Amino acid sequence: MTMSRRTTIGLLAGAAGMLAVPFGAMAEGPVYLGYQLPLTGNTAQYGQDFKTAAEIALKDFNASGKIKVPVEIIFEDSRSDAKEGVAIARKFVDDDRIVAALGDFTSTVSMAAAQVYKRAEMAQLSQTASHPDFAKISEWQFRNITTQAQEGVYNADWMNEQGLKKIAVIAEQTDWGQSVVKDFAEKVEANGGEVVFTEFFNRGLPDFRSIITKIERAKPDAIYTGFFYEDGAQFLKQMQQLNIDIPVYSTSAAYNQKLVELAGPAAEGLFLTVTFLPNSETDHVKKFVDEWKAARGGAEPGQFPAQAYDAVNIMLEAVARAYPDVSRQNVRDELAKTKDFPGVTGVTSFDENGEALKQLTKATVTGGQFVPLK
Amino acid sequence: MSKDFIQSAGLKLAILAVLFVALPLLLVSLDKGYIYQVVMLALIFSLLAVSLQLVTGIAGLLHLGHAAFYGVGAYIAALAGADYGIGFTLGLPLAGLGAAAIAFVVALPTMRLVSIYFAVATLGIGQMIFLVLQNWVEVTKGPNGVSLFSGIDLFGYTVDSELGIYFVVATIVCISIWVIHRLSHSYYGNALRSLREDDQCADAMGINTVRLKIESFMISSFFAGIAGALWAYTTGYISPVDFDFAESILILAMVVVGGLGSIPGAIIGALLLILLPEALRGVGDMRNIIVGFVLFFSILFLPKGLFGEVPSLNFIRRQFGSAWQDNPDKQKVGWK
Repeated sequence: MTMSRRTTIGLLAGAAGMLAVPFGAMAEGPVYLGYQLPLTGNTAQYGQDFKTAAEIALKDFNASGKIKVPVEIIFEDSRSDAKEGVAIARKFVDDDRIVAALGDFTSTVSMAAAQVYKRAEMAQLSQTASHPDFAKISEWQFRNITTQAQEGVYNADWMNEQGLKKIAVIAEQTDWGQSVVKDFAEKVEANGGEVVFTEFFNRGLPDFRSIITKIERAKPDAIYTGFFYEDGAQFLKQMQQLNIDIPVYSTSAAYNQKLVELAGPAAEGLFLTVTFLPNSETDHVKKFVDEWKAARGGAEPGQFPAQAYDAVNIMLEAVARAYPDVSRQNVRDELAKTKDFPGVTGVTSFDENGEALKQLTKATVTGGQFVPLK
Repeated sequence: MSKDFIQSAGLKLAILAVLFVALPLLLVSLDKGYIYQVVMLALIFSLLAVSLQLVTGIAGLLHLGHAAFYGVGAYIAALAGADYGIGFTLGLPLAGLGAAAIAFVVALPTMRLVSIYFAVATLGIGQMIFLVLQNWVEVTKGPNGVSLFSGIDLFGYTVDSELGIYFVVATIVCISIWVIHRLSHSYYGNALRSLREDDQCADAMGINTVRLKIESFMISSFFAGIAGALWAYTTGYISPVDFDFAESILILAMVVVGGLGSIPGAIIGALLLILLPEALRGVGDMRNIIVGFVLFFSILFLPKGLFGEVPSLNFIRRQFGSAWQDNPDKQKVGWK
């Protein structure tokens, strides 16, 4: 009898102890974030870059001791496939430990996954989703990429200052390309200029010569382009082959060292806006570039990994501000308060829709290098 | 009522019990949105694989653009819902009919083509439809895609719980697969198989081959359209890249791995290719390689598919051809 009573007490004490441990652990356990990104498939190179960038950011954050508990990121491969992206979003939402999500890479997958995050009320921060409506889906969507509403207007004003009035516009046939043309053209016309030619091309077009010939016939003062570096290099080379000397302006999407490698001398004199220059002398850019080079055997980071690095840091800052009460709602609220965040892709603030407002830098290609213009 | 009949009704009941009782119970007890998503995806792709099976496996027409008709259905449902306020009740049949109508138009000039030439023509059709979805910005909103927030409304009643949506999807997929099953396991199905084996011979026997080809192509596209509408309504956002060539190949792979000409095979193939990559998520980046190996070895060792046509026909006759089993003295060929 005594024995059994003692056992009972022991059991009770044990049970109480067991109960206490998880509660204690909950306060001290790591904070989890989800990151959905294409680690395999056609766009795997981007996803792998994001993962490296995220790991660098995470390592530094956890080493800094800003909050007492470590943060962990759970990476899931979406293959840039909406089917998988939605399933991952559901998985993250199911997991009570996860307080916010990062990703996805393409607009399609990000938009499809956003429907899940919106319903489940969990913050989603994409480093690249460029669809004009992405951040408008709900108060839970954020992105760390300059929108064309900002960049297009900036470039239109820049070209206007240079006295370029008649402008030809070409852009890839994607949601992003659509917004490149729309926002830019509206501002050009507001400035008293004229868009004399507009055409969309499908990504990966090998032959731009018919488009270039048509551009030449329209006799523009300058060409404004919405392309990524692969298409950009192809376009610039063929411009040179056809010996056409019209100044070309582009967006930060064209910014990549590979553009210069692929286009060679044809890239000389390209004007573009950038938010991230790896050869910048700023301390935090240098630190990121050095760590990236160490992780990637000397290669320089491009625009997208830099955006991912900042996106992860912005998210981690929001978690740190919300700590110790790291709930999904609090992380979202802190994310929305992000203001003048000193990122490697420029000083960043979120507007009331969750759109990133960034400082843009004018740049050009000279001697195989991207150099900022004063 | 013979013992056989009870036995065959038993399997039908078992399938229904799993789909409408056991699986929902499991889903509710787990209460994971992720599991719901994967199950619904598996259902939608089962329907896609079965609908392609009718054309490619049974009628023998290698179709490389099935995802385009899936996309047409998705776009019709999504645009009707988002721009014209036409809900699910009407949008679903519209999606199927729209896909079938487009299939009819493109079938007319291509039906005289045979074998590889037909395959290349469907490849072209698939790409054309994809590019129209991508570039006809005024109508399809182009690469911006279509957002559909309305949710499923069924005869004025809004279904918004996870379980409710599951029941809607499961019911529609079940009815659709049953229709294709009745079509392919009948004299009509035999006529389609005769096209595959030798269409000139079938022609000589008085079968209107061109008409049958067009019909099977349209029926298949109709159900692809239905699947598209289900995808649009369960995801809430669609864009052209959801329906590109890779998707057609995925559906074709389900059909081939499952077994050409076999309806249960197509379902098994769809389940395998949807569930396996999800189940292997824990493995990390290697998972696609493992899926590739599984496909490679299954084709290497089971070239007729995981559930080939002959065993599948025997199985269907034994388990589902209840009327046929009534009289054991009759010759065991044909359908009833």
